[in-house]
Amino acid sequence: MDTSLLFSGFIFGLSIGSIYFLMAIGLSLCFGLMRVISLDQLLYYSVGAYIAYSVSLATGSFGLGLIAAVAVGGVVSLAIERMVFRRIYERDLTFSMITSFGVLLGGVGVIKFFWGLVPRPVPLPFSAQVDLLGTDVPAYRLLVVAVAAAVYIGIWLFLNRTVTGKAIRAGIESVEHVEGLGINVARLFTTTFVIAGTLSALAGALHAPLIMVDPHMGLEVLAFVFMVVIIGGLGSIKGTLVSAFIVGQVVSIGSLIYAPLAQVAPFVIMLLILLVKPTGLYGSALLKK
Amino acid sequence: MNRGPTLRKAWAWWWGILLAFMLIAGMRLVLPLPFVNEILIFSIYAIGCSFLLGKVGFISFGQPAYLAVGAYATAFYLFYFGTNPYIGILWGLAAGCAAALLVGPLFVRLRSDYFALVNLALAVIVFYLMQKVLAPITKGDNGLWFLTNMTSTPVLDITQPQQFFIFAFLVGLVVWAFYKYLDDTIFGACCLATKINEDKLQFLGYSNFRIRLAAFVIANTTTALAGSLYAVYLGAVSPEITAPSRTADPVIVILLGGVGTLYGPIVGSVAYTGMKDVISKLIGNWEMVIGPLLVIIMLAGEKGIWGTLEPWLKNVLFRRRNTAADDRDEAR
Repeated sequence: MDTSLLFSGFIFGLSIGSIYFLMAIGLSLCFGLMRVISLDQLLYYSVGAYIAYSVSLATGSFGLGLIAAVAVGGVVSLAIERMVFRRIYERDLTFSMITSFGVLLGGVGVIKFFWGLVPRPVPLPFSAQVDLLGTDVPAYRLLVVAVAAAVYIGIWLFLNRTVTGKAIRAGIESVEHVEGLGINVARLFTTTFVIAGTLSALAGALHAPLIMVDPHMGLEVLAFVFMVVIIGGLGSIKGTLVSAFIVGQVVSIGSLIYAPLAQVAPFVIMLLILLVKPTGLYGSALLKK
Repeated sequence: MNRGPTLRKAWAWWWGILLAFMLIAGMRLVLPLPFVNEILIFSIYAIGCSFLLGKVGFISFGQPAYLAVGAYATAFYLFYFGTNPYIGILWGLAAGCAAALLVGPLFVRLRSDYFALVNLALAVIVFYLMQKVLAPITKGDNGLWFLTNMTSTPVLDITQPQQFFIFAFLVGLVVWAFYKYLDDTIFGACCLATKINEDKLQFLGYSNFRIRLAAFVIANTTTALAGSLYAVYLGAVSPEITAPSRTADPVIVILLGGVGTLYGPIVGSVAYTGMKDVISKLIGNWEMVIGPLLVIIMLAGEKGIWGTLEPWLKNVLFRRRNTAADDRDEAR
């Protein structure tokens, strides 16, 4: 196969993988610390995309749209955390899964109410091509990859160098001990949830120019994001990074070989990995307390 | 007094199911036929999921996968090979059973959360298989249309909507009797035990794996049956029935109705289909109502409509009976 085609496929896969990674990291943190499966992350993703669309349409600046999307994503996730999740941390996983699906569905309804059913296009902020190893690569996709890399480094520093981050990591091991040390666990949960929501909104805003923005966009990536989380293992940041990379490449390179493969192949890989290791690549056998 | 004890026992066993289905038959008189048919099929669709979640503790976001397996097996038969819808339905049942047996041993080993997500993935795989990969056979998004291929059958002509209603009604009756029977058997008790305390069940000498596998196969064969009924009723099948945005339909229905209760799926189907119908006529935006409703139901104690009504109804209807029996039932 043509190497330049393969290379641009690789970059395409990296950018898709970056989007998945940004969303999956929030899901993974929520699961690791609070033991909830938060399907409503997909709502913040859609909200982020729509806010980016509206703000960049009104002001003409995509950068402003991005900032507004992240801010609104954070506020919405904070509100949802206070209203709904606060009451369900103690319950089992199934419970949070269904409740958050209700939140997601309601949110889709609200989006439909404000923006209507019609898919909206978001213009690319810059359509420049960068010459990389003799191949023309869209600069925007490189930006997406760069943002994801920056977020990974930021999250790593946050988890390893700050007190709150260390408390979160300790909480993933044992919440009781963290509470015993006098750390406000409720606030820790809120912080984690808002971080997750913000990152999902960022992912949505970044993804918006690459696809059409429509009310069901969250449900469309749902399966892929969960695949990333499952392959990587629930609750592991490193696993999420690795599996986001794998899934992105499989989607992108797979579609170069045989178009329908792009959608099915990742699921087949996921089934195979789960057969060998039922908790995912880096997942621990952590159970509900 | 004059009735024999066996007859009375039989009546006590059957009366709930008969009453529920009498109400459905009553709905047939006042509501439009397509609506009632939809409710019947949807309740059969949902009871498999209800059984898995309520009795075995497995939540499945992938029920549409098995629905599609049943529907497509029926569709393939009626489109390419035969004309008799009854045989088509049998094929759907067989295919559903085979599919469940194929993936069951892999899936039931997983923890409940992974189980839900893997099933979700399976539904998406089936969707893309039917939409893209197998497009030469399934005709992709256009779907298979075979309404005119089906020949009239002698006794009960299920190609006619009126007579299809009678057939679906009878099938529903049998399915409910079967699930009520399951509840009473040792197998039903084992299912509940594997949900509540699997270590203890193992200690008693039962295999958790086998019980879960059997429950999984039973539930998903029922779901495939609903798929076949859909196929015959609509005379067409398209990948739309397993679309990713519809994966949670049965879960919502059983939560609305009440998880693990016998009549929850029926109540849920009526409420869900009805609400979707009414709301989409009024504001064309049913998610905005269903979503928060789901959250409220969960926060209010996840009992659902029937789960809340059942103890109350029992109280009102049978106040004279000894309350001990009521308490026992409620505790269940």
